Amino acid sequence: MQNIEMLRWQLNSLVTQVRQDIYTLSTVPQQPIAPQILQRLWDTTSTIHFISELLANQALHCYQPIPVNSRMIPVNNSPSNSTQISPITPIPNQSNSQLNGRNFTIGELATFDGKNGRPAYVAVNSTVYDVTNNRAWAAATHFGLLAGKEYSQEFATCHAGQQSILATLPVVGRLVS
Amino acid sequence: MTMPILPPEDLSNKAISARITTNAIKSIKNGLIKKKNLVYLELNGCSGNIISLLNGQNPDFEYTFKSMVDIQYSNSLMVAEGEKAIEKLMKALEGEYILAVEGAVALKNNGLYNIIGSWKGKPLTGLEAVKMLGEKASHILAVGACATHGGVSAAKPNPSESVGLNKVLPHKKIIMLPGCPVHPDWFLGTLAHLLLYGEPETDSLNRPLMFYSTLIHDRCPRRPFFDRGIFAEKLSDKTCLFKLGCRGPVTRTDCPTRQWNGHVNWPIGDDTPCIGCAQFGFPDAMAPFISFDTTRVVKNE
Repeated sequence: MQNIEMLRWQLNSLVTQVRQDIYTLSTVPQQPIAPQILQRLWDTTSTIHFISELLANQALHCYQPIPVNSRMIPVNNSPSNSTQISPITPIPNQSNSQLNGRNFTIGELATFDGKNGRPAYVAVNSTVYDVTNNRAWAAATHFGLLAGKEYSQEFATCHAGQQSILATLPVVGRLVS
Repeated sequence: MTMPILPPEDLSNKAISARITTNAIKSIKNGLIKKKNLVYLELNGCSGNIISLLNGQNPDFEYTFKSMVDIQYSNSLMVAEGEKAIEKLMKALEGEYILAVEGAVALKNNGLYNIIGSWKGKPLTGLEAVKMLGEKASHILAVGACATHGGVSAAKPNPSESVGLNKVLPHKKIIMLPGCPVHPDWFLGTLAHLLLYGEPETDSLNRPLMFYSTLIHDRCPRRPFFDRGIFAEKLSDKTCLFKLGCRGPVTRTDCPTRQWNGHVNWPIGDDTPCIGCAQFGFPDAMAPFISFDTTRVVKNE
């Protein structure tokens, strides 16, 4: 519900921006800035389209439950060949039943480096976590650290007393020596 | 202003700036606000922040340096050169002044890797200058990545042993304005706040909350794509740039709403990932800036 309120707020601000841009265009028709404003109008309209599809989708979910991944959202400016990856929702102790019990050696862990389509895993205190879609791990890197390694020491240095960070990460297994 | 402002007050840019200007002029008349001296030191860096500053608007650079402060020293902008310029710097020490520093402090060989001028025939190092001026300044602004935490100057292998300002002035309160470069508004806005209302509210890393409070990720116009797991595969894609290495999720600035180059656009608006230039540890900690070999397979390339 909070998300819907946020989307509504965003839609309203986008509409305001469109109005402003149209007004600007109408007052300064021959300005060299016009192409930029038109581009922004186009982009804003795309975003409004996207958000309205999202809202419509959520409204449909309220009446009939549909598996999340079966519905594609048409986005007119996304490349046609793009496929969708469902985001990993950060639910505490969320686990994948096939992988949760898996044991990793440090060598096996190193193969999950987030390269060439492989997932990105890291280990802290012998637990292996999935950071593939974690927002602080863009491109499977985090403040100079690469995925596929053991970072107990680093975690203790930078995130002392922040165990909650670990609690939100999906667990995929344990690190064994 | 003769009429009291009753809610809802006009929130257009024009009305807000009119209110601030009127209040400022009134305060100057009543002697509540005084123009302060500003010393702008450039140390080990690329002068990028002062160039960015020239791009400022409302107030612009000219207004700032003429009407808001009395600029005492800026090696890029002043007419005097050589010992005459340093003479002005030394003279500034006698009065009260706000110190703005861009560039890192080079420590190697007692600061000899960064010489900013000569005084009485001897080279004056950035290290000496910043210690001397920092001790007496009423307020200190660290402007840009290098001054706040070493930045590009301190990137590996850091041959000049550069550090941020707080390492050489450990006991002074320093307002941190990270960014490579700093947005002109971040510097001018903080300076204006100092003059009008005193020190701005800051976070635990001494960054003014009015500019650095919110993650780029939380205000990103492409956030809906992240939440749905729709990711760009290459530059120019209009979706979330996270998989390419976007640092918006770890960087706190107001770029998404403020935008750059006269508030026209910003990196993500131009389909290129945020490189986290305003995050401490930039550039090493933010590398790689772009990565195409990622957690998802790109099929058609």
